[in-house]
Amino acid sequence: MPDKLITEEKRVFMTGNEVVAWAAMAAGAEIMYGYPITPQNEIMHYWTRLAPKYNRRFLQTEDELSAGFTTLGGVMAGRKAFTATAGPGNTLMQEPLSMAEAMRLPTVTIIQQRGGPSTATVIYSQQEVTMTTFGGNGEGLRIVYSTANHQELFDYTIKAFNVAWKYRFPTFILGDGYQAKMRESLTIYDPEQRGIEFVPAEPFVGKPGTPGVDREPGHYRNTYNVEEELYDVLQEFFADYEKMVPEVVEYHSFDTEDADVVVLSHGVVSRGAKEAVEILRKEGKKVGYFRPITLRPLPEKELKELATKAKKLLVVESAQGQFGKLIKNAIYGGTAEFLTLYKPGVGITTEEIISRVEEIL
Amino acid sequence: MADVIKIMLAGEGGQGVQSVAEILAEAADNEGKEALYIPNFGVEQRGGVSIAFLQISSERIGAPKFNTADIVVALSDRAIYRTKQYVGEKTVFVYDSGIDIPQEDLPKEAAKLLAIPALEIAKNELHPRVFNVIIMGAVVKATGVVTDKDAKNAIEKKLGYKFEQNPKLRELNYKAIERGMELV
Repeated sequence: MPDKLITEEKRVFMTGNEVVAWAAMAAGAEIMYGYPITPQNEIMHYWTRLAPKYNRRFLQTEDELSAGFTTLGGVMAGRKAFTATAGPGNTLMQEPLSMAEAMRLPTVTIIQQRGGPSTATVIYSQQEVTMTTFGGNGEGLRIVYSTANHQELFDYTIKAFNVAWKYRFPTFILGDGYQAKMRESLTIYDPEQRGIEFVPAEPFVGKPGTPGVDREPGHYRNTYNVEEELYDVLQEFFADYEKMVPEVVEYHSFDTEDADVVVLSHGVVSRGAKEAVEILRKEGKKVGYFRPITLRPLPEKELKELATKAKKLLVVESAQGQFGKLIKNAIYGGTAEFLTLYKPGVGITTEEIISRVEEIL
Repeated sequence: MADVIKIMLAGEGGQGVQSVAEILAEAADNEGKEALYIPNFGVEQRGGVSIAFLQISSERIGAPKFNTADIVVALSDRAIYRTKQYVGEKTVFVYDSGIDIPQEDLPKEAAKLLAIPALEIAKNELHPRVFNVIIMGAVVKATGVVTDKDAKNAIEKKLGYKFEQNPKLRELNYKAIERGMELV
């Protein structure tokens, strides 16, 4: 049985869902747990086609609660496990993923956002930002990458497995229905040939030796009897998270130095935002571009700086202010005027961003 | 900005507009160009107007959807009404001449209105199954986004396994693409 799907770098043309399945294979993912929901179905389809050829596994569960919990189980058994979902499936999955946060389990979850609330559309939105970044009960100690194109879907899915196992926080790839279904080119590669080293997985339970005698006992808890006990554990988590922030935060920006208006966007919307800013700059207009790649943790320092330097910030998203809320929180105390272009559940074109910027310039 | 050609194909579910868009996107990718194809999926897949957004460029493409197309191809009366909003002053609007629609309902602002008898040719000259390939030929000729050779190669890639079983199908598809090109 061949152990590698990708043995050399090559350009391919495929849908985003197929990209995710290939990336998970390349990242050495050992098992996927899942329950079908549009628009992420084809991640499962491609994975189940590839997995048997490369000695990987798949389990379809009865719902997303179960898919989430079995992913946790896979991780506890020391497997690089992942799942994928969308919309109401993402809602259900917050219960197990909150448990992953409590037990510091390195789960990898791919979210292909669809419209909401509830069943809504199977098509597209950026309306799962609040849920994916802060999730269920708890404090949202997670890592969330918001990708914008197929190359990033490939690169960051690979990265997600390493980041999750290194820092032990639940890690997410936040895509959307457009990225899931559209086709475009990208370069696929064997990560090891590019010098990417895999962080090894290790079992949480079933380790050799007697706990307390041969090794430290493993206390993986999601239950506490007294308030103070939980408080102390959370303090450690917060400290770990804060220490990690500068190592994982990512963003992309240009032309912000002298900008009167900085366009803020994330994910697939940033493609149009980038193009809009480039076109407006060519016309001599002082417009800048800023896009957080990690929505959790956010590049807070850079955002705060923007909010004191630029005159206006324009937040563009396919939701009614979910990304906007994250930004507002980060820039508290900044002086820039806060403006928006919100189109919940609807795609945003380059032309629309240009005309909104022209309106406020 | 790089020159991007923006193509919109719309028709009834089952008319094969998504296949055409996918084959054209594959052909452009094979030529080393950047292509982005996104189907307008959703309820449309269960009987309604099916729309494909296709962009082809020499450089990376921005937003997956657009407001104004360079060429719109509408293959049913409902598709014409649905796609009118994507027509601008520079848009070439292609529709099937067999569609029964009042003249005043066509998008007047289009740079060019082009009625082609694709349905009729498919039915009477070739085969109803290659209707969408005739349309593809028309798009290839009207936009020049890919060569007819690359378009044929892309068809071969997608349908080659069927051609193996029945070589006549290959001939039929090639004829359809050529016939489509003649219509523009």
